[in-house]
Amino acid sequence: MNKRIGNFSRRDFLKAIGALSAGLAANPLLNSSIRTLAQDVMSQPPITILINDSPWFPGFAAMVELYTEITGNEINLDVTPFPGMLDKTRNATQAGESEYDAVAITEQNIPFFYKSGLLKPILEIDADYTLDENIISYGDAARWDSDLGVNGPNGTILGVPINGNIQLYYYRRDLFEEAGFEAPKTFDEMEAIAEHFANPPRMFGNANRANPIWWEFGAYIDSYDAEYVRLEDDGSWSVGFERPEGLEAVQRWLTLGRTWAPQNYADLGQADLLALMASGRLAQVHMVGAAAPNYDNPEISIVGGNMGATVVPGVTAEARSPRTGMWVMCHPDNLPDERAAAGLEFVKWLTTKDNQLAYAKAGAIPVRQDTYEELATDEVVGWWTSAFAESTPFLHPETRLPETPLIRDSVSTRMAQAYVDEISAEEAVSLMASEIRTVMEDAGYSVS
Amino acid sequence: MAQASLTNPTDMRARLFGAGSFKYWSVAPLLIILVIFTALPIIQLLQMSVSELEFIEGELVSEFIGLGQLDNLAKDPIAGIAIKNTLVFVVAVVLIETFTGFALAVAISRTRTFSIVYRSVVIIPLLIPPVAIGTMWSLIYDYNYGLITTILIELGVQYLPLWTADPDLALISVIIVDVWHWTSFMFLIMLAGIESIPPSLLEAARVDGANEFRMIRHVILPMMAPTILVAMLLRTILAFKVFDQIFVLTSGGPGTATQVISMHIYKVFSEQFRLGYAAFLSLLVAAFMTVFVVFYFWASRVVRRRLG
Repeated sequence: MNKRIGNFSRRDFLKAIGALSAGLAANPLLNSSIRTLAQDVMSQPPITILINDSPWFPGFAAMVELYTEITGNEINLDVTPFPGMLDKTRNATQAGESEYDAVAITEQNIPFFYKSGLLKPILEIDADYTLDENIISYGDAARWDSDLGVNGPNGTILGVPINGNIQLYYYRRDLFEEAGFEAPKTFDEMEAIAEHFANPPRMFGNANRANPIWWEFGAYIDSYDAEYVRLEDDGSWSVGFERPEGLEAVQRWLTLGRTWAPQNYADLGQADLLALMASGRLAQVHMVGAAAPNYDNPEISIVGGNMGATVVPGVTAEARSPRTGMWVMCHPDNLPDERAAAGLEFVKWLTTKDNQLAYAKAGAIPVRQDTYEELATDEVVGWWTSAFAESTPFLHPETRLPETPLIRDSVSTRMAQAYVDEISAEEAVSLMASEIRTVMEDAGYSVS
Repeated sequence: MAQASLTNPTDMRARLFGAGSFKYWSVAPLLIILVIFTALPIIQLLQMSVSELEFIEGELVSEFIGLGQLDNLAKDPIAGIAIKNTLVFVVAVVLIETFTGFALAVAISRTRTFSIVYRSVVIIPLLIPPVAIGTMWSLIYDYNYGLITTILIELGVQYLPLWTADPDLALISVIIVDVWHWTSFMFLIMLAGIESIPPSLLEAARVDGANEFRMIRHVILPMMAPTILVAMLLRTILAFKVFDQIFVLTSGGPGTATQVISMHIYKVFSEQFRLGYAAFLSLLVAAFMTVFVVFYFWASRVVRRRLG
């Protein structure tokens, strides 16, 4: 494997390899099953994969190493920071022939690439390919329904999920047990917990990510049944902020994000939330699921062994709606068939159940429900993999339209303005409603 | 001797084809390449800015919309804010950096002891990549763990500024970082200017009884005027393009407090995928800067004439 491993040190990578080896050594059955499965993989030409430099990358790299070791097929990785992924993918897919045999595409860029026709349908590469029913759908993230112009169950398969990132709710299990709190299921319960634990500046009751807002806020707006845009039964689209629940969701977000948070709540990014939680200064937080392994890392966290995770609360327990932030692996349309087939072969290998178990052991985020269920009792990762498994029925991906980036931008801007009182919550809702309506109407959608 | 006129066809012909015309022809290939490489991207930008662009079935489809992007500009809630913030940022940093750069250059040019050390230390910020500067200052400003907060707490200060989290303070925080970063650029140019002033002039002023303030006011400043004007022009152009350190430091927030035009164009292009509108905004900025530079040259000529 190419030794370019992005921002991760050789040590991180070796740790992932070590964790993977230890996992396989502790489970001889799994080890032998992975090796048996590898016998089905034909000899393939060397391939190059464009992959992002994310916290789960060392786990992915460890699996690439394992694939090369047991199949003899060579894989080069171009490890790229997140902001550079879009341009590299765009350039590769528009070139005469792509330099990459497979490209990782983040959920937020799915509409652009799926709609553009720049990707090769998976069935054109392998006519017998079927998406395993245990691979979580993530709102049909693998498929594009070109008639509806959105992901849909009847759409063409254009990618395969390779990272099942979602939002989780994290809490200090030790403190909760001491105070007699159960993990909350509703926003009301979250508020009561925040109120109880708030003791600034030593301990904050709750904090929300403010930079940017749209992703985490999505779990609020969807829970209030006022998602940004929704396809109605009559084929028209509706705008969530035009419903009274839209304002309620905004007000709830502002209350939970500001009341019990550090004074710099308007500036908190993912790294700040992780730092606050890992340093023992935050009682609970709603953030990205991929952050979970960090809390067990003694080099950056003092709360290892005391953390709990569950489904992100909602306005009611039944209406919990965590968002997804996953990645799919796709193959550019400008690839010769044998290169696309070699890329897909690795993806098929990676997404089998046993390999997904190994993937999780190496520190990555699997995409299979059966993997999460099996790992739910694991001593090391069970505390967060069980939360992933538990979240699946509640997952609520954003509506992925080509216009979604414009909607997202309106939400991010107006919510950020409301967060610092540049505008009121009512003004923010009214502006988001009119801006989203304009975006949809200008794009030719029928908006009810 | 009468000057050859470019408007006179005979003179023109003599200049282009007569003896000594080789100097013009020898630079022609380079000039043609330069024009092509400058003009072509601008022509393409112009073409994109009057179109809606979309990828359909693997092809880039372009639809001519004329001045339709003006509609998009009118509907864009952020463009106006970003332009206003950019102008405030540019005016503030250029004025502060010019003053601090000049003051440092005067002070260090007068120092004999440790002069090399001072010069080296002052230019260090200029050597650091803007992304590293953004990261470094975001750690310094951090409200919960930052260096400034820690020092203020140790000093017993009750009110802790929120720096990048306070919408009223965020742009000032960004300006402070920029001043820290770019003052050394102004310093270097100013120092070169000061050191090129003939020492005999300064000696003469001293013999005439001028004190330090008068020397600066009546000798150094007038002699330095062309240098200062060029430095301010360069800094204005660079400041207008500020992106990376704000991107890392605040991402334009909180709210829209530090949203600048380059960052907005980046978002329109890379996050909203509106290639045509992004091209239009880029062209608008380029046009504005061109007008500004022309105006600046005119104004600086007037200033220089007044200063004799």
